Amino acid sequence: MISYFKTVFTSSWAFVQGLWITLRYMFKPAVTVQYPTEKLHPYPPFRGALLFDAAACIACGLCAKACPSSCIALAHQVNPETKKRVPKVEWYTLDLGRCNFCGLCQETCPTKPKSVWHSLDYEVVFSTRDEMVRCWKPGFPLGGRVWDPVAKDFREPRGHLPVSASPARK
Amino acid sequence: MASEELTVSGPGLEMDTMFINMGPQHPSTHGVLRLGLTISGEVINKAVPDIGYLHRGTEKLMETRSYQQCVVLTDRWDYCSAMPNNLVFCLAAEKLMAVQAPPRAQALRVVMCELNRIASHLIFLGTYGIDIGALTPFLYAFREREMILDLYEMLCGARLTYNYIRIGGVAADLGEDWVAKCREFLEYFKPRIDEYDTLLSFNPIFLARTQGVGVIPRESAVAWGLSGPNLRGSGVDYDARKSEPYCGYEAYDFDVPLGQTGSCWDRYFCRVQEMRQSVRIVEAALAKLAPGEVMAKGVPKIIKPPAGEAYAHVEASRGDLGIYLAADGGAAPYRLHVRAPSFLNLAILQEMLVGRKVADVIAVMGSLDIVLGEAVR
Amino acid sequence: MSRDLGSSRLWPTEVWARPWSLPRYRAGAMWLGGIAAGIVVIGAGVGELYLWGDRLLGLLGRCGLGAAWVAWIWVLVKLGCVLGVIVANGLWAVWWERKISAHIQSRFGPMYAGGFHGWAQTIFDTIKLLFKEDVTPAAADQPMHALAPIVAIAPCVMAFAPILFGTELAAARLDMGVLYIFAFAGISVIGVVMAGWASGNKYSLLGGLRAAAQIVSYELPRGFSVVPVLMFAGSLDLAVIDRAQAGYWLGFIPRWFVFYPVVGQVSFLFFLIASVAETNRTPFDIPEAESELVAGFHTEFSGMKWSMFFLTEYGYVLLSSFLLAAFFLGGGAAPLPFLNFVPSWIWMTGKAMFMMFVFMWFRWTFPRLRVDQLMDFNWKFLLPWSFANIGLAGVMLWWMLR
Repeated sequence: MISYFKTVFTSSWAFVQGLWITLRYMFKPAVTVQYPTEKLHPYPPFRGALLFDAAACIACGLCAKACPSSCIALAHQVNPETKKRVPKVEWYTLDLGRCNFCGLCQETCPTKPKSVWHSLDYEVVFSTRDEMVRCWKPGFPLGGRVWDPVAKDFREPRGHLPVSASPARK
Repeated sequence: MASEELTVSGPGLEMDTMFINMGPQHPSTHGVLRLGLTISGEVINKAVPDIGYLHRGTEKLMETRSYQQCVVLTDRWDYCSAMPNNLVFCLAAEKLMAVQAPPRAQALRVVMCELNRIASHLIFLGTYGIDIGALTPFLYAFREREMILDLYEMLCGARLTYNYIRIGGVAADLGEDWVAKCREFLEYFKPRIDEYDTLLSFNPIFLARTQGVGVIPRESAVAWGLSGPNLRGSGVDYDARKSEPYCGYEAYDFDVPLGQTGSCWDRYFCRVQEMRQSVRIVEAALAKLAPGEVMAKGVPKIIKPPAGEAYAHVEASRGDLGIYLAADGGAAPYRLHVRAPSFLNLAILQEMLVGRKVADVIAVMGSLDIVLGEAVR
Repeated sequence: MSRDLGSSRLWPTEVWARPWSLPRYRAGAMWLGGIAAGIVVIGAGVGELYLWGDRLLGLLGRCGLGAAWVAWIWVLVKLGCVLGVIVANGLWAVWWERKISAHIQSRFGPMYAGGFHGWAQTIFDTIKLLFKEDVTPAAADQPMHALAPIVAIAPCVMAFAPILFGTELAAARLDMGVLYIFAFAGISVIGVVMAGWASGNKYSLLGGLRAAAQIVSYELPRGFSVVPVLMFAGSLDLAVIDRAQAGYWLGFIPRWFVFYPVVGQVSFLFFLIASVAETNRTPFDIPEAESELVAGFHTEFSGMKWSMFFLTEYGYVLLSSFLLAAFFLGGGAAPLPFLNFVPSWIWMTGKAMFMMFVFMWFRWTFPRLRVDQLMDFNWKFLLPWSFANIGLAGVMLWWMLR
């Protein structure tokens, strides 16, 4: 008999405590960030979309070997007279569709600062598959350009690549 | 208290069995799991889990990738807690190479794995609450988890697939304010677990839904190869951190929560208590963090363990995660096999669901806390 | 267009440490305070609505249309008001529920549609539902499929007839108002069963039958917990019940039925719990839970038909809120004597909104009961204790009338 009433009262009290918790949280400020009207920057080590600086690169090829998804390909320049290898990159491609954002390429890059690094850009969006492959030649911007097979030329990537917000060079 | 079942039978009243597919797309199967249920009326006659929808062939892929690159693939098994995945692979490789990570690296490994255990159990708590009908703890759990992911982002740059624990140590050392932030999180988190207890664990409705439901007796748990909180919920005291300590776990003082009856509630509460114990371990590890190296000396850039076979296992968030690594002296593993806890845990559904009502499936399956990435690799 | 937050994460530890330092928190508090003050001022300015109704009636009379015409037009006006209340409630309650649930969960809720805190969200949702394709399963019983939502919502609208929205502000003065409301609220069950049957799906049928069983079972403690109120008030007329709660003990404790020792609180709680169960809300919402395998009775209904069921649910929530306010919380009476300048319809609506808030509060705090546990709770706990409650009320009444 007593235990019956005890159960009723302890259950009711448990319910009231639960209600009190939710009521307290109702009056605390919400913690959500209202994307896209408010945007957060990731912390500096963040592994976002890859950027490449053709000027700093020495074309060692370590990044291409380190990548587990084989998304990097590059070629070094060759001195036309001596036919010797020049430590500068002739072309560099990066398939952002294959990239798994592991950071191994930026870890093995020997230059200081790194020639290939993960930026703070987390809004990596493509509308076509062609857009995923970014190409660099010396002088191209950090975000690379896209090869347009119709125009047979490079063009700027469509959409945005907020490089202004994204360097966080490692 | 169970209600009695009225069995109505007679000529012309047979209930023919019906085959229902639950999944692979279903809001509650916690991943791409297909449960083929044969039901008559509301009672389940046969339950067959069908997996394979998340198979990416990681074991085969790893045969053609260097050890460094393999660590990246390990992240994707149990994506809800990726650090133990990295860790177990590195432990296996380190066994082959006879390399030991320096003390600071070991302490960092412990901190990261235990924080990941908290994060993973928070997902479980939230999603199990939703399965039972409590829609709010999910948001609370993710609010806390967000802080853990921020800590990981400060540390290694990634929030889910870290690639942090490497062969010979860890990839990077802590920043200056990381320890302070981590302690801030732990202080914030301790009263939250009490709130989850009030809101969910000791809520009479939750207790009525989960106590006495989905009972797994000790013998069944051991026979089916369960591990982790599923096994401990049935009262079997087995934890890889205590039985075969790694990364210095023998030095930390923590309890292993055990359940009594093996019901859904016991498994659930084991995980809640494990969160509390993980907080203890992280605090102890942070306290004894001494300056030092985070990578062992003499680990080459191109890792080529000597030929041999090694087995390493850790207590991952979902159970006993093991790796059997066979190396042939080359730069890539010769063959790798993963003993995934979720794969073995979900096999018991074939026995547990028979005779239950359809409405109980979600509660029972949710209490096993399976992640299909691990079950199917 | 987007505000750059930098990498300051504002962890909950920081955000909650000094909430009043956040501009958006202060802005929110000022808006809420301002809206409340505005409501009070407008209410005090408008005064009692029944006086405006009397003036309108007088105006109609003076138009020279004849008594019969005036009577018909007056009926239409009242009908329009009631329908307006129900439709406005559908829009308002959904938005409010989403906001309340969001803030309980430390998030914002609708913020975008219409600009300020997404006030137009439900309007846009309704427009979207109107454009949805009306899919009727081939195996379904077509006429029943079309009729089920109507049979579900019609009694809900009709049950609003005697509800008192303030002093003398009911669509129909019925001396058996309470009986009428409970009678009509019970007819919606037929709509639920029809919906389950008309889905052509064994599991929807089971879901529908289960929902019907739940609704019918919880009608009993709901009715019985109101009996003490009827005993104390001495009438089934909502206006009489309202008047019986006027006045104050010791000058400041309102004579609301919820304050009557033990009997008041027990009746209030039982009526609240039974109403939550009647309206199929968590913790009693097994029939419509999305994460359960067994389909609810309204899964095969899409577009406007589904929104009819939805409107019915929120209509019953509003009905239960008004009943709770009328029976237990004093109806239009102000809680303290000096607050009488605020008219009764504001108090009534405010109390009803408070009760609706309690409904939503319950939904987002508690997990759901299994069907057999739900039935056990009703037949083995609520019903016997509501009988005991009636007995206790009888004893108390005898003592009071001695």
